[in-house]
Amino acid sequence: MIDATAGPAPAPRRPGTAEIAVGGIILLGWLVMALGADWIAPYDPNAIDLRGILGAPSPAHPFGTDQLGRDVLSRVLHGARIDIWMGLVGVLAPLAIGIAVGLVSGYFGGAVDMAMMRLVDITVAFPFFILVIAIVGVLGPGLMNYFIALALVAWVAYARLIRAEVLVLKRAEFVDAARTLGFPHRVILFRHVLPNALGPILIYAWTDALLVILAGASLGFLGLGAQPPTAEWGVMIADGQPYVIQAWWICFFPGLAAVTLGLGLILVSDGLARRHQVDQ
Amino acid sequence: MKPLVEIDSLAVDFTTPDGVVNAVRGVGFKVEPGEILGIVGESGSGKSVSCRALLGLLPRHARVGGRIVYDGRELSTLTPAELAAVRGRQVSMIFQNPSSHLDPLMTIGEQVAEPMKFHFGLDRRAARRRALELLEVVRIQDAGTRMNAYPHELSGGMKQRVLIACALACEPRLLLADEPTTALDVTVQAGILRLLRTLNRERGLSMILVSHDLGVVAEVCDRVVVMRGGEVVEQGTVTDVVRQPRNAYTRELIDSQPGRLEMSSGRHARPAPLLEVKGLRVRFARRGGTVAFGGDKTQGIDALADVSLDVHAGETFGIVGESGSGKSTLARAVLGLVDTSAGSIRYDGRALAGLDKSERARFRRDVQMVFQSPYDSLNPRMRVLDAIAEPIWRHRLADPGEAGERAAELMDMVELSPALARRKPRQLSGGQCQRVAIARALALSPRLLIADEVTSALDVTIQAQVLRLLARLKEMRDLTIIYISHDLAVVRRFCNRVAVLKQGRLMEVGYTRTVFESPSSEYTRELIASAPDLDALRGGAVPA
Amino acid sequence: MPQITYIGRRLISLIPVLIGISIISFLLVKLSPGDPIRLLLGPRATDEAVAAVRLAYGLDEPAWRQYFVYIGNVLEGDLGRSIRYRLPVSELIVQFLPRTLFLIGYVMAITIPATLALAVIAARTQDRLADQAIRLFTVLGMSVPVFWLAVLLGRYFGAELGWFPVSGWGEGFTGHLHHLFLPAVSTSLWLIPLLVRNLRGALIEQMESDYVVACRAKGLPEGIIFRRHILRNSVLPTLHLLGIMVAFLIGGSVVVEIVYAVPGLGALMVGSVIGRDYYVVQGLTLAYAVGTVLVTLTVDLLTAAIDPRTGR
Repeated sequence: MIDATAGPAPAPRRPGTAEIAVGGIILLGWLVMALGADWIAPYDPNAIDLRGILGAPSPAHPFGTDQLGRDVLSRVLHGARIDIWMGLVGVLAPLAIGIAVGLVSGYFGGAVDMAMMRLVDITVAFPFFILVIAIVGVLGPGLMNYFIALALVAWVAYARLIRAEVLVLKRAEFVDAARTLGFPHRVILFRHVLPNALGPILIYAWTDALLVILAGASLGFLGLGAQPPTAEWGVMIADGQPYVIQAWWICFFPGLAAVTLGLGLILVSDGLARRHQVDQ
Repeated sequence: MKPLVEIDSLAVDFTTPDGVVNAVRGVGFKVEPGEILGIVGESGSGKSVSCRALLGLLPRHARVGGRIVYDGRELSTLTPAELAAVRGRQVSMIFQNPSSHLDPLMTIGEQVAEPMKFHFGLDRRAARRRALELLEVVRIQDAGTRMNAYPHELSGGMKQRVLIACALACEPRLLLADEPTTALDVTVQAGILRLLRTLNRERGLSMILVSHDLGVVAEVCDRVVVMRGGEVVEQGTVTDVVRQPRNAYTRELIDSQPGRLEMSSGRHARPAPLLEVKGLRVRFARRGGTVAFGGDKTQGIDALADVSLDVHAGETFGIVGESGSGKSTLARAVLGLVDTSAGSIRYDGRALAGLDKSERARFRRDVQMVFQSPYDSLNPRMRVLDAIAEPIWRHRLADPGEAGERAAELMDMVELSPALARRKPRQLSGGQCQRVAIARALALSPRLLIADEVTSALDVTIQAQVLRLLARLKEMRDLTIIYISHDLAVVRRFCNRVAVLKQGRLMEVGYTRTVFESPSSEYTRELIASAPDLDALRGGAVPA
Repeated sequence: MPQITYIGRRLISLIPVLIGISIISFLLVKLSPGDPIRLLLGPRATDEAVAAVRLAYGLDEPAWRQYFVYIGNVLEGDLGRSIRYRLPVSELIVQFLPRTLFLIGYVMAITIPATLALAVIAARTQDRLADQAIRLFTVLGMSVPVFWLAVLLGRYFGAELGWFPVSGWGEGFTGHLHHLFLPAVSTSLWLIPLLVRNLRGALIEQMESDYVVACRAKGLPEGIIFRRHILRNSVLPTLHLLGIMVAFLIGGSVVVEIVYAVPGLGALMVGSVIGRDYYVVQGLTLAYAVGTVLVTLTVDLLTAAIDPRTGR
């Protein structure tokens, strides 16, 4: 017997299923907690209790209380709303712009493509986070302005991905076949090219959601994103930083929340990527 | 004489996400010193797997059972280091796709020298000197300069010669050649096969030649093993197997060879031109030269230069040529998929350039194409029936419901089971995909069907079926067919008239019989001579 | 020589990018609400003084002329003045830059060897225990907010154990190394996972490629195949990613500089945004972009040097 195997256990039927399931459950859990924060959270997230400040985790306050005596658990739950919302809007807006630009640019080529790609070159010349900070600096701090900054900057990644896919698909024989059959550009573009170009973009979107949430939380931490007293994880960590030595829980739990949410997003993205790889 | 290699009840299993697959079962054969053994079979027959198992080159998830004895030594008992000492030194290998089997970041001289450093302990200079000699042995011209070239700077045929030089470097006794000429043009293939035969004769190098092409095996090998579905169905001397096959599958394989196909090329064509191409020129911008930074637009390559030909209504018109001959570009130009730089194309007496909107739509229905790659030519997300029905309702020839019914009839016509209607292309075989593509092309009831290398990705028995189907459809629907192929034998059997292209230029055009029996251009003669032929058995003539 | 042409083309392609960068940084101040001159001169400035400065800066001219004035000034090294520091912006950048550069160099010095080691181990033990452990680390590392990690590391190793300082950047080379250790580690812990995932993927792809089978068929030892062939081919895609990551890192250093009070460009940037010090924001954004362009240019030229196929 020549045994060329390294002997890993046989893989499950569809690769990536486990990751997608675990990640999906985490994300679903967070979604439920965010939407139901009003009912699930034990306290009002902004209720100040100056007699119970910097309280350590206890049965009454499982995550402790902060420097104003607000319940950290309730604030983490309400914070999930803001951070998930950031991820959602912060991905969907650039995604829509990026798909439109990449599709047109890749399919029609020529001068439109040239112009679009120069614009992309210029945008990626700026470090992402710096450009976002600069734009927020001009427009003023706040969540809305973060979204505007993202829409201006983050579409680039999607446009590039879509364009690369379209350039490959444009040469596929089934697209030639569609042209030979006399289908109009609109039909070829939306029915034959776009559905096949979406795969890698949808995988990236999940990772991008993580980047958008982390960047948004960073802005909140720096005082340039969501504004206090809004319960947003980055803002909460900034609030807790001066007290981190005597009251670690104020910082710790919002960060932990961000880690678990991020974990869910990465797992889904990884699972989809594995699946896509096999399908190719 | 003691055999050089003896393989006995070889079995190979692959662990896949869908369970264990038996790729090879109970395979046994021998290679005598100095002989060339052919292994022939279609895709999935296990011929490559058996060959790789011999050198322990299968991927990690493969399990190998059975006995592989080389020169009296059982290879499975060797340690990895001992096995490495056999690889390249005793037994070496060349592969189907020479481009991907060379490291893109290393000069070819270095890659040829590499094995000698490890097996013979040669220093850099000595190894390079030997490498230069080897490159000359495999007839690489100007080898001294080429030593420092990178793989991407060489043509496919040259790369295969470099791989052969790598394989010869340590003077092995056995060479495994896994489809060594499949990715190459037929004239290049002839050169490589000549080289392999010379090496066998002059150096006594034994070989196992794995190929899907019985013609190639017949020209080169002494004995042949025929494999199917992971098992050996027949083996013997090439002459015996080809002349008196004992196994039914071997017989089918031989009968499916294009040169043996029983096929009428159809009724005699009416000499009314349906398609007239005059002085056609297609120019492609040079790759890498961007228009943006003042790239010179006049710089370019002529994919087609001054090509004129007529296709008559009702005939099957063949276009043959090697890669880069422009044969596909010609088809794409006719369909308006590429822009032409000069010349005119007239369809049914009207210039394509001057068609109005409704005439254009009519032309789009009248002229259809079937493409080369079975899987790439179908939208991977569309079900078979939807793909066939789509052109019907989009052209408003029927509402979507009725289009579906017509699509089902078309599936029946191309001999596809209705059970496949709801499948996606990935769930079909290559031959089934090509049938779907043919049905889709026929959906608009075209008069002219362009078939571009439609069978070149298919196994030879499937190719025979698809060709028979095309011939039947042509009679049934009164089609004119333009059949583009690199395979002369197919064109010879299938087409009324034929055009030969080389590097964008028309070499000659005429009735198939005339072109094949008394070619007027030197190139056509070379092409015909290069084509492997089952009847050109090694070692002698074949009775009529 | 296709490579020479490639370098030429690559340099020419910088021109539109640099023009675009200058337009965007110009617009940053142009579009900002409020009158920057009023901010510059302070609330007690007379209208005449404001008008005089406006004239000097050409702010009453049409926008396109202002742009050319701006470009002229930038080319002469004049990026405007800081309101808060009462210093030329260019001087401020020169003063703050070394700290950020030191931090970035520090991060690279930690990241590159760690990435190579982890990715090689993961790829060679594909799907076995070591690979799974590394995968867990990369997934966790990617989802951790850098500033949070920085705060927690500072609390434990700085405040509790007292091993490392948690603010400032120290005196002398060893002082810098000591002070910037936690900032560099927090940043690396986020950067390494991204690079490891990428390099591991590239390595595995190369390990399964045809030329590796051909090398085995030649009888080369596995170690040699890995070092001479697989590694070299895998570095190319990761080099490209590294370029992008350095650009990301320039931005990413902002938060750790704030957490650990490192007086670098990032801290200057955030302070200026909050303090509405527009010319500093503008000058810094421009400087960051030019820096990024230089990094990606370097990466592309390095790739061209390694890969003979470039320019084809």
